[in-house]
Amino acid sequence: MNKSKFDPKTGAMIIFLIVFSLLVSLKMNNYTVLVVNMALINMITAYGLSIMLGMCGQLVFSGVAFMGIGAYITANLCSGRMNFILPGYAAIVVSVVLTALIAWATGILFLRLKSSFCTFATLGFVQVLYTLFLNYEPVFGGPKGIPEIRTLSAGGFVFDSYKKWYFLLLGAVIIVALLVERIRRTSLGRSLASIRDNELAAQALGVDIYRTRVIAFVIAGAFAGLSGTLLAQHNRFISGDQFSFAKSTTIVIMSMLGGINSTPGIFVGALIVTFLPEVLRGLDKYLMFIYGIAVIIMMIFMPMGIGGAVSDFLKTMRRKNKLKS
Amino acid sequence: MGEAILRLEGVCKSFGGVVTAKQVNLEVQPGEIHGLIGPNGAGKSTMMNLISGIYEVDEGKIFFHGEDVTNIPSHIRARKGIGRTFQTPRFLYRSNIRDNLMLGVDLHDQLGYLKSFIGIKGSDFLKELDELMEMVGFTFDWDEDITAIPFGQRKILEIVRSMLSHPKVMLVDEPAAGLTTQEIEQARNLLMFAAKKRNIGILLIEHQMDLVMSSCENIDVLVFGEILARGLPHEIAGNPIVLEAYLGRDFDD
Repeated sequence: MNKSKFDPKTGAMIIFLIVFSLLVSLKMNNYTVLVVNMALINMITAYGLSIMLGMCGQLVFSGVAFMGIGAYITANLCSGRMNFILPGYAAIVVSVVLTALIAWATGILFLRLKSSFCTFATLGFVQVLYTLFLNYEPVFGGPKGIPEIRTLSAGGFVFDSYKKWYFLLLGAVIIVALLVERIRRTSLGRSLASIRDNELAAQALGVDIYRTRVIAFVIAGAFAGLSGTLLAQHNRFISGDQFSFAKSTTIVIMSMLGGINSTPGIFVGALIVTFLPEVLRGLDKYLMFIYGIAVIIMMIFMPMGIGGAVSDFLKTMRRKNKLKS
Repeated sequence: MGEAILRLEGVCKSFGGVVTAKQVNLEVQPGEIHGLIGPNGAGKSTMMNLISGIYEVDEGKIFFHGEDVTNIPSHIRARKGIGRTFQTPRFLYRSNIRDNLMLGVDLHDQLGYLKSFIGIKGSDFLKELDELMEMVGFTFDWDEDITAIPFGQRKILEIVRSMLSHPKVMLVDEPAAGLTTQEIEQARNLLMFAAKKRNIGILLIEHQMDLVMSSCENIDVLVFGEILARGLPHEIAGNPIVLEAYLGRDFDD
């Protein structure tokens, strides 16, 4: 196990991130930065999905619902709808914790169901919450949504431009990505992988399948809650149609395109899926059609997404090198 | 004889009308390799699944270390020290060898997810793994995918994985099926080591009679869910009931 300290993959990631952040902060106009910010926010939910789908092998659609919950909690706390206005950073903590609790409460029900039954339960959950968000005025503002959410400020520093937000969101995404990688390398990640690949082996190795799945669901929910609270404070306005079923499919496509098991892959996948409608602006009538075709082609030729294809390629290269030497 | 590490008392199990275990009594001592043989469909693998908790028993009790584990869920039984391997090895096919073996280490350490997450180190298993790999006599690159190594070695690695979890009882389901002669030898060395040096009680299901006869101290013969004969290897080999169950009766009788 002679592992050298320098890992070329980590090096490549760091260089990519530096180039990416310079590019965005120096070269791009305000609108493009806004699009990047939306990609970064969605990415956090997609990382949550990668824990459930990539590590645990359980497709859930509930990410967007928890994103909505996080966003509406923040919206209520930070827009003067209550008698007080909570500071933004406190709202982040409250939203994430509350969303995680709700994820736990729903998770203990959903995860009693196996595979596709669980998927459909979460699908129903998204629809129920979507309807609530759109129609229940007292808490969710009804179809008008909730405007005038305070933007985040901390210690006198106000995040009042998209570029300032950009660095904050990039930091949040990096932290979340590191957490995901950490989980993958520790016993939780291994237990989840054993549930995904072989439940009988998991049981024989002492893995409590139900509890482990609930834990993964709660972590995914907490990530979604984080992305929701950031969304609310970034956009300063939220409404129900941001948390529709169509949005959850977008999140699923992001993860699948990038590679459900690849942390850098999801980064790339979320950027592509968010930018695609911008690039294809003239073709937006055909957008869903192009999406659909792309997903089909991808599932056939690279089922583990871009990240999976790249890592397969690297593995083949490694084997070839080993044979040569 | 000392106290049995694993004891089955009157265990019954049927699936619909098919009886796969009928009043089975069985004992495995620590440090003993206990053979469980019988023709195909006799209910041997079902017995493993009953002991490890994949199936619930209809009747009867299972004692582990003197404790009644009949109604304890499968993963808790594993944590208490009932290890097992499968007829076809069950691995994480999308993970590398390291992660696959680490699952056994995780089971031994029982750190919990949070402690593992914040970086608390478990036991040092590298020395132990070296020792086990020396015993079986092959090496591997553990960054490789588990699918990159031959089937026989995979089956042996499954026993290694179970041993890394330090079980007190190990249920080994047909370790020799599909293995080359050399690999069977490696598997036998490993099982003998587990029993004699680690004092693990092993319940061995096997069709390969050379392996059974050369490694087991006691053998039970299971036919249609019933223990038909029990004894030392040479007694079993000459037992007319066993021969009949395996080979059938002479037409003249």
